Amino acid sequence: MKDTIITIKRKKTELYTLVAAVIVAYGLNIYSIAAYDTPWRELYTEIPWVLLWGIGIYILWTILRICFCGIVSLFKRK
Amino acid sequence: MEQKPISRRTFLKDMCLVAGSTMLASSPWFSAFAEEKNTSGEKARIAVIGPGSRGRYHMKNLAANPKVEIVAICDDYQPSIDEALKIAPKAKVYKDYRKMLEDKNIQGVVVATPLHEHRRMVIDSFDAGKHVLCEKSITKTLEDTLAVYKAHKACDRVLYIGQQRLFDPRYIKAIEMIESGVFGPIEGIKTFWHRNNDWRRPVPSPELERKINWRLYEDYSLGMMTELACHQVQVGSWALKLLPNTIMGSGSITFWNDGREVYDNVSVLYVYDNGLKMSFDSIISSKFYGLEEQIMGNKGTVEPEKGKYYFESVPPASGMMQMMNDIEKSVFGAIPFAGPSWVPETANVNKGEYLIGEKPTEDGSSIMMDAFVESVITGYQPPKLVEEGYYATTLSILGHQAMKEQRIITYPDEYKIDYLNHKAPAAETV
Repeated sequence: MKDTIITIKRKKTELYTLVAAVIVAYGLNIYSIAAYDTPWRELYTEIPWVLLWGIGIYILWTILRICFCGIVSLFKRK
Repeated sequence: MEQKPISRRTFLKDMCLVAGSTMLASSPWFSAFAEEKNTSGEKARIAVIGPGSRGRYHMKNLAANPKVEIVAICDDYQPSIDEALKIAPKAKVYKDYRKMLEDKNIQGVVVATPLHEHRRMVIDSFDAGKHVLCEKSITKTLEDTLAVYKAHKACDRVLYIGQQRLFDPRYIKAIEMIESGVFGPIEGIKTFWHRNNDWRRPVPSPELERKINWRLYEDYSLGMMTELACHQVQVGSWALKLLPNTIMGSGSITFWNDGREVYDNVSVLYVYDNGLKMSFDSIISSKFYGLEEQIMGNKGTVEPEKGKYYFESVPPASGMMQMMNDIEKSVFGAIPFAGPSWVPETANVNKGEYLIGEKPTEDGSSIMMDAFVESVITGYQPPKLVEEGYYATTLSILGHQAMKEQRIITYPDEYKIDYLNHKAPAAETV
């Protein structure tokens, strides 16, 4: 096992990705309020769910990225 | 929203016994407590006729009140006397209630004997100058009930009827909400009281069967109508401010064929002049649904026994929840083994709201006894209390009569008194 270094660039990328995921989740919240004709107060009452969805989207996105990187690295080795 | 259970004292304090209180408007008998602070140093000397199980329950409530001295008990059944003396060791014991009534020291009497004894005991108590709390039902016949009512009106003594729901915080809150209109117009009342037991008590020797299990025999009781329905049909007049004029029903013995004379399976319908209906059902061989009075309004329903109310329109789940639900359905909806949903239901389940607290700790009996004690001390007769008890009894009796005679009964004019939409016959007005 060896030491690994998380670069500042990586940290920033992950942070931006997480923020983007939360923004997407918030966008979904706005969409659902309009689509299901529910009260606009859900813009703030649903914030806990928005954060949860944001984390979920971030995790999903991360899994997709890991899979993509894995496949790319496999092709590079060949 | 869940609330903490409320104590009797807290409730009474919160009831704000002040002029103009909506609570007093819907439950005027609480005016009995108006002088509660001024009577703090006084004692009510009370006797109990019939300290059986219900009588002793009242005695325990009385014994817990510092304003009470239980001075006498009267019974001809020694085991009841022995148990009662454990609650009130200093009480004088009588076998004959008339001898007991001669005791000038006694101010108030609690009558908790079988129904067929009530008439003479209550009227004799009035004649002896005593205030009376008579267990419900007042009696088991219309004639006797009217006689007790008239005797009360003809004297200046206090009369309470053991309709403890009138003092139950849950019911009081429910009625207050009904009167405020939050449930919309009340469209019907369904009452039911189901049990699964034979309603018998152990009998030490066969000759005591009717004495102990008096509820099962028509000479002493009308069974579920006078013992159970009496509590529940009273809620109808309280909630609707109306009295029914048409009564129909069907009763039978379907399960407990053990020699009893009263029905074990009854269904009675009370119809009001405006078309509203109140039903009473009781089966004592199946208890799943228990007991309840479901008071159903156009905008909501209240179940005071459970202590909950439910509005008709339930707020929908949030947009996010609905979207999650739709996504789940589109992804997993066609898979038969998907199992329970992993997201909340689209529509909120209508779990209702508690009227005053999650766990009812008080059924009104002790508050009722406290009110009686106040009335014994002050001599104040709370309004409408007797009338509510009168109609609870007569409607129960008429329900039994409708079942027995298998016909639709119209409330007889001669037994109407001046209350709500009923008017006493002119010559009979008391």
